[in-house]
Amino acid sequence: MLFGAATFFGGDPAIHGWAMATAAVVAASCALVGTLLVVRRMSLLGDAIGHAVLPGIAIAVLAGGRPGGLFVFVGAVAAALLTVWLIQGLRAAGGLAEDAGAGVVFTTLFAIGVVIISAAPAGTHIDPACVLAGDLTFIPFDTVTIADRAVPRAFLAATLSFAVLAAAAVATWKLQVFTAFDPAAARAAGVPVAAITAGLLAATAVATVASFDVVGAVLVVALLVVPAAAAELLAHRLHVMALIAMALAVVGACIGYLAAWHFNTNAAGMIAVVLGLEYIAAAILAPDDGVFARAFGRLRLAWRVAREDRLAGVWREEESAARGRSAVAAPSLLERCAAEWLRIDGSLVRDGGTWRLSPRGRRDAETVVRSHRLWEAWLGRHADLPLDHLHPPAEWVEHHLGAAMRRRIEVETGWRQSDPHGREIPPEA
Amino acid sequence: MSRAAADPGQDGPRAGGPPLVDFHDVTVAYGGRPVIWNVDLEIDAACLFGIIGPNGAGKSTLLKAALGLVPMVGGSVHFFGKPLREVRPRVGYVPQRETVDWDFPVNVMDVVLMGTYGRLGWFRRPGARERQLARDSLDRVGLADLAGRQIGRLSGGQQQRVFLARALAQQADVYLLDEPMAGVDMRSQEQIFRVLAELKAEGRLVIVVHHDLRTAAEWFDRVALVDMRLVASGPTAAVLTPENLQRTYAGHIDVLEELGRAVATRGRTP
Repeated sequence: MLFGAATFFGGDPAIHGWAMATAAVVAASCALVGTLLVVRRMSLLGDAIGHAVLPGIAIAVLAGGRPGGLFVFVGAVAAALLTVWLIQGLRAAGGLAEDAGAGVVFTTLFAIGVVIISAAPAGTHIDPACVLAGDLTFIPFDTVTIADRAVPRAFLAATLSFAVLAAAAVATWKLQVFTAFDPAAARAAGVPVAAITAGLLAATAVATVASFDVVGAVLVVALLVVPAAAAELLAHRLHVMALIAMALAVVGACIGYLAAWHFNTNAAGMIAVVLGLEYIAAAILAPDDGVFARAFGRLRLAWRVAREDRLAGVWREEESAARGRSAVAAPSLLERCAAEWLRIDGSLVRDGGTWRLSPRGRRDAETVVRSHRLWEAWLGRHADLPLDHLHPPAEWVEHHLGAAMRRRIEVETGWRQSDPHGREIPPEA
Repeated sequence: MSRAAADPGQDGPRAGGPPLVDFHDVTVAYGGRPVIWNVDLEIDAACLFGIIGPNGAGKSTLLKAALGLVPMVGGSVHFFGKPLREVRPRVGYVPQRETVDWDFPVNVMDVVLMGTYGRLGWFRRPGARERQLARDSLDRVGLADLAGRQIGRLSGGQQQRVFLARALAQQADVYLLDEPMAGVDMRSQEQIFRVLAELKAEGRLVIVVHHDLRTAAEWFDRVALVDMRLVASGPTAAVLTPENLQRTYAGHIDVLEELGRAVATRGRTP
């Protein structure tokens, strides 16, 4: 598939394959850690750590470390832990809220990093632009040889840190879920909540640092938060959410990389754009609260209301005719459509110019009218409202009352035979 | 009429053995500000025990201090004569329902299984035995058929019963519940109360932080009236007297409150 893509995109498939694979592994690491950050409402802390590792990296490089090397890695993790410690310190000492504290700490640290890099002597291996946006392009050229194959150093580092993070997540998942959901109960049960939280922050630092020189500060934050936030819309259990987040991250990394390749633009930026699009797609398509699901739910309700109103309308026309009064209001267009549907359905019968109810239609219609009048009776009894206040709420409540609730209202209103307007309440079908 | 009065056997200490719970001179501060002072409270026998008092009286704080969730400024709490860390699995906790995010991606079964984690240790996963225990617990609170439901789709009363089921799955000997009846429909309240009464009948101690005086007299064998300090404790009928209630709900708390503020700000009271 990669080779097919290469003929379409042009260039050396192996080179691009390595770069894309590195981006994908890094994305998976960040999405895994990000899942826990997002459900613990700590995504801002991920943002802070993503930025604040910069001075750690800069100082380590100035001190002679090689970008991507172990020394720089340690410097970055140290900077990340310093960030967390400073934020918590600011809250304890100055009473600064955690979000404001994070804002103060990470912007300051990031700025210090930028200053150090800008002031660094020529020949130092840090490029400010690369720090912000990362540079996947050169990854495939810095290789180590394993079993006679040249493997990019960054890919190895990313894979190693992913393996460590995944193993830690699997081993402590039970405790992570308990701590994230209910920290007080977890502590009472003897779960080492502080250690679990510290572990999560260290994991965030590791994921961030492993990603930093690959994809840059901006994308690290996007990778930490966006796939997890999208997955939260789609999943009902935490491990499912983590797996979906990782899948979204990997797919986003691959599509983003290929798109950047095709359009010859910055890969990190393109990946972040694709992740954003994935989130929008998730928000639209989410099965429970997605835009589509909600619109569909509203549409279905409107259609049910139209059918029930039409049935009840025909029933009331019959009642008015029997009492020798004029007919009720003319049906709307939607209700006329509903009437045609109800005819096909067998609930209504067309008899010359008028509609009549079939036995089934009559039963359904009486249920609606009964709900309506029971609600008027209940409101009249419990809320002591003037008569003209009773009809409007009953007009929509009638579509939402179930059989059990109707029985309860019947009992509470003392088995009244008529509503407050003096009209008969039809018996339960 | 109180249950305690009808059952005089519960008033005396249990033969031998240390008290089930022993608060000794407990003072707790939140952010440097003392909110409950010098509480001495021993509970000797299994019963339904209510901790009653107005808003801000420090009821929940007392419970959290006993569980080591907020640090004590002074005093100690012992369960079965031992510090909490030696007997954790035997002490169950049901926090206030609003303290967690009910949109969290877990289902009912996941939450109830958390009750078994204390005994499982840090790394062992729940197995068939724990799942059975969780199912039995759900059955007891009447939620057996909702095991797979996402917790955000439960009613408030059902959520509270899930919390109770989690505590049941722990199989503790002492239960501490923080406002389990707050914002809960009547049917859930009755179901919760029935389960608590069962726990008592099985010989377990159930301590409930509660704010509703009307139901307190009916539900609890023994109560403690608390308002920043212990006002009175003992059999319900003996404690819920007009004088005690007066002292709890309109007592001299402004002295303690102003003093607490002064301590927190390292200043001096007017």
